[in-house]
Order: sequence, then C-alpha cells, then structure tokens
Amino acid sequence: MSLNIYGQELKSRLLIGSALYPSPQIMKQAILASQSQVVTLSLKRQNPADKSGAKIWQYIQEIVEQCQGHLLPNTAGCKTAKEAVTLAQMSREIFQTDWIKLEVIGDDYNLQPDPIELLNASTQLIKDGFKVLPYCTDDLVLCQRLYDLGCQVIMPWASPIGTGKGLMNPYNLETIRLRLPQATLILDAGIGKPSDACMAMEMGYDGVLLNSAVALADNPVLMAKAFASALDAGEQGYVAGIMQQRQTAHPSTPTLDTPFWHQN
Amino acid sequence: MNIYINGQELLLEPEQAILATALSLFLNDDQVKRSFAVAVNGDFVGKDSYSNTVLQSNDSIDVLFPIVGG
Repeated sequence: MSLNIYGQELKSRLLIGSALYPSPQIMKQAILASQSQVVTLSLKRQNPADKSGAKIWQYIQEIVEQCQGHLLPNTAGCKTAKEAVTLAQMSREIFQTDWIKLEVIGDDYNLQPDPIELLNASTQLIKDGFKVLPYCTDDLVLCQRLYDLGCQVIMPWASPIGTGKGLMNPYNLETIRLRLPQATLILDAGIGKPSDACMAMEMGYDGVLLNSAVALADNPVLMAKAFASALDAGEQGYVAGIMQQRQTAHPSTPTLDTPFWHQN
Repeated sequence: MNIYINGQELLLEPEQAILATALSLFLNDDQVKRSFAVAVNGDFVGKDSYSNTVLQSNDSIDVLFPIVGG
C-alpha cells in the first residue's frame, strides 16, 4: 500500500526531516534507514564566511537520489502569508518542486500555526500553482477550509513542534479523519515515540512527518527503523479492522464443557 | 548609495545599482556557484531578472541557501 501525495505514489508513509542530527553522516544513515522518500529542508541566509551549508545540501541531494525520493521545502520561521509566499517562490526556484510544506507561525511560545495567515498563504500559493501541504492545528474547521481551498494534503499537529508529547488530542485527530475521508492526512510535529506514529496510522491517517523523534534519539538510525516498523504495524492494524471495545469482560476460552471444579 | 544584503550594509556606486552586480560583490566564489534564491524588499526575484533589476537606496536583499529543516 502506498502514500499518494498530489498524484505521486510513494512506498513509504513516513516523511522525515533533515535537521538536528548529530552529524551529516548519521543524518544520511538515519533517513535511508527510515525508508522515507520525502525529506524536508529549508532556506536560510548565509553570509560569505560561512561554508557549512554546502556539504549538508550535497548530503541531502545524495539521500534523495539514493531513495528515489522527493524534496519537501518548508517555510519555517515565517509569520505572515507574505513571507511564506515569498519563501515558497524562492524554494521552488532552487529545488525545482511545486511541493511546499507551508508553515506560518502565530505564536513564538508553542510555535502554533496562525490559521488566518495559513489560509491566506494557501490561497495565494494554490493560485500560483503550488501543491500545498499545510502544517496546521488539529482544528476540524480549519482543516476543512484548507481542503476546500484545494489542499489535497492536510498536516495537523500531534503536539507542538519538537516537544515529543505525542498525540495531545486523539479525539480531534480522529474527528478530522472521520469528517475528511478524501483528504490525505499526515500527522506532523510533536511525535515522540514509535507508538505515537503507530497510533496515528491505526486512526487511518495516511502518513506521519517527524524529525526530532529520530534525530534526537540516542541511536537515530535504530530509531528510524523503529518508526518504519511502527508505521507498517499501525497501517496494517487499521486495514485489518480493529475490534470494537466492549464495556464488560468476555472470556476468550470457550465456557462449554468447563471442568468439574467450576460446577459447585 | 547603501543597500543591505542579509542584514549587512553594502556601499554601491551608482553604476553598480543592479541586483546582479550587488550579488557579485557580496557573494564569494564558492557561493556564486551554489544554489541560492533572492528576494528584494520581501519580494521574490527570479534568476532571469537579476541583470535587469535596478536597486534603490536602502533596498534590503535576502540571499537564501538550502539548509536542513523539519
């Protein structure tokens, strides 16, 4: 079973970030171990004296080539629709992709997306031919509005970026899945452990985007493999059909012909 | 006149007030060969417009390069 992002079929349902790894070598090993085919990256200023960026960009290009993957540039750090649109246009020129992970931050404390600016930016970018993957809160109506605008992929947060707190509001996330059955839903941000990703897949989410949970693990390469397995397990569980919870106990072992010591 | 590239002040002679010229003065040989994109006063300027974009005093130019991201 594959993940479809704007018509592009991908074998893995994991999207992975390229930041915060202990070294470029470990970044490359971990991303390849994750089996992800979508790698996020960004754009920043760099002054002439700084030569560190070139090597990282070379590593990311090698990774994407090796996994036959795709770049997903983000608009991290933007606080207005205008900033995000400009950064998306700059990204498209450099990375030669219409895909954009749209981030418009509304609060510096919890890095919560600004829903108004997000909608404004999405409107402009879609008009300009972008394929927008908006990072948003777990607000059903916001997700619906983004989908109605033409965002085929919606990426609600599990919890604030980098917290590793996992799924703060499972009810909200399940409701979004229920109410937007046609949308490609990717849980983005706040994932801490493989079981978080598994839970999202068991809810019927189409994929998971994460970075810190792998990059900040004691062993990022092993953690990347763990996430790959967790996504597979969750997806298979969802497809297999999870049993209904019941309020009372039901014996698993047949009660017919119960031995003599239960007859008194 | 003065302009600002990535927050650094750059003094240009009147005949140098073209985006392509300002970039060649600011970027080193290594950076010129690499992938980068440019915005002037917050608006994207594509590569094919560098040589015909005239700069004004106090213009603010952002030159951005690929980096890691989540």
